[in-house]
Amino acid sequence: MKYIIHITVCALVAFSSCLKLDNNFYNKKTLSTYELDAYTGDQDFILDATYTIPSSLISLFTVPSQTAKESSPTNIYSIYIGDINKISTDTVILYCHGNKWHMDFYWQRAKLLANVKGKNHFGVMFMDFRGYGLSGGEPSEEGMYADVDACMQWLKSKGLTDQRLIIYGFSMGTAAATELCSKPRTLKPSKLILEAPFASAEVMVQDAARINMPAAYVTDLKIDNAEEIKNVKQPFLWIHGLNDNFLNYKTHGEVVYKNYSGVYGSSYMVEGADHGEVPSKMGFEQYKKVIGDFIVKP
Amino acid sequence: MKRNLAILLIGLFLMQCAPARYVKPLKKNEQVACFTFGGPIIQFAGAAIPIPFTTIGYGRGLTDKVTGYANLHSTSLLFSNLQFDLGTSIALYQKEKKYGFSASPALQIATSLKAKNSFRLWPSADLNFYYHPKKKESYCYAGLNAWFDLTSTKSHQEPQTTHVLPNMQGGYVLMKDKWQHQFQLSYYGIGIANLPNVPSYVGVAQKGSLGFHYALIRKF
Repeated sequence: MKYIIHITVCALVAFSSCLKLDNNFYNKKTLSTYELDAYTGDQDFILDATYTIPSSLISLFTVPSQTAKESSPTNIYSIYIGDINKISTDTVILYCHGNKWHMDFYWQRAKLLANVKGKNHFGVMFMDFRGYGLSGGEPSEEGMYADVDACMQWLKSKGLTDQRLIIYGFSMGTAAATELCSKPRTLKPSKLILEAPFASAEVMVQDAARINMPAAYVTDLKIDNAEEIKNVKQPFLWIHGLNDNFLNYKTHGEVVYKNYSGVYGSSYMVEGADHGEVPSKMGFEQYKKVIGDFIVKP
Repeated sequence: MKRNLAILLIGLFLMQCAPARYVKPLKKNEQVACFTFGGPIIQFAGAAIPIPFTTIGYGRGLTDKVTGYANLHSTSLLFSNLQFDLGTSIALYQKEKKYGFSASPALQIATSLKAKNSFRLWPSADLNFYYHPKKKESYCYAGLNAWFDLTSTKSHQEPQTTHVLPNMQGGYVLMKDKWQHQFQLSYYGIGIANLPNVPSYVGVAQKGSLGFHYALIRKF
């Protein structure tokens, strides 16, 4: 019996550190093509025809993204909604989507943003992080930041400046949005919008465990919006559903908001909204008004 | 966002990953090796399943009334965490082959092998009643258990409001000549509301979580 125990313990030690839950954080799905309006899969909501974007104002393309540790770039699929020739004068919302699937799933959300303050008033860019949709590579936290920065590089090459860049993160995308406001790379966004943000991987673990358990026990993710937000001085809008069953507004969003000490902070809580329901429960008109008013506020 | 199993595992990764230890203490100098499997029950892919936590351990009768034990949490080790529970099971009162009461104070000790400042220690305690139906060696039991979190703050200096995690359990220990099989049903976090969060616990009125454990014990 002792022999069996010794063997088992040795085997466990040998295999220890093999497992982490990080990869399961990325709920990616690959595609053969982007369908956008023709996509019939599961979506949080579907907008009516009045929100339709003319196909001439929808551009699908790839941008090269490379982390500091990589020797070659990864192709990241992106969509720009608006007139690319007007990026040098337009205000652009860079949308960082959540951890689910691909851009087809988030197309309705991007269209909604493209209708804020009128159809195509603002340019909207969003991307599939590496490993998502048709983008190459495998998801990683550093890769996600690099992918969003790659979009900023593309926008900058088209003439976008810091002052006209608004960054918007939803759920997992709040990590990239907050990180790139806190530690700007290619561009420094002028405003930050976080919908249903994480506080940190630590809070996620402790919320669930109920006891003071370090996140390191299960994940190597370093996502820490609650700390990063302390460096953000740009105006900040926090939106969260009060019925968020995935990222609790009190233990996650409120901690982030409390730690913000920039020039202007605003919050909007949505009664009855679960994690993906903020725009629909808020009402699309109200959603557009809140986002639009925040963006144009001097 | 998808609520897949691995993320769900985060929820109760350390919490109650083993059944009650040696509800009926061992005889003096009796030694056993123990393997346990099971944990809180969660909803996964439409089915209710126990989280497959495992532990391996050793127990020894220090006296006829006191058993010392140590267990390594093997699932935890696979995630680069060194987690042990060390404790004693003490017979408070026993009437041989009829019934008895026992208590089991223990320390739950864990640290990440990769991250600094990750050492944690949670005291825990069990109080159990056991009963031998028809005076057989096998016995059933029921009892209460609690984990204690002594910290005052959690991440981001937010106050830690949950200091006691009360649990209850009931089980049956099937005694064979050299082997024992222990089956336990548990209810973790009695009365504690499930926060809106990732894990889909199978609880009672959205409070706590039910659990199932199996232990295989070998005397030697």
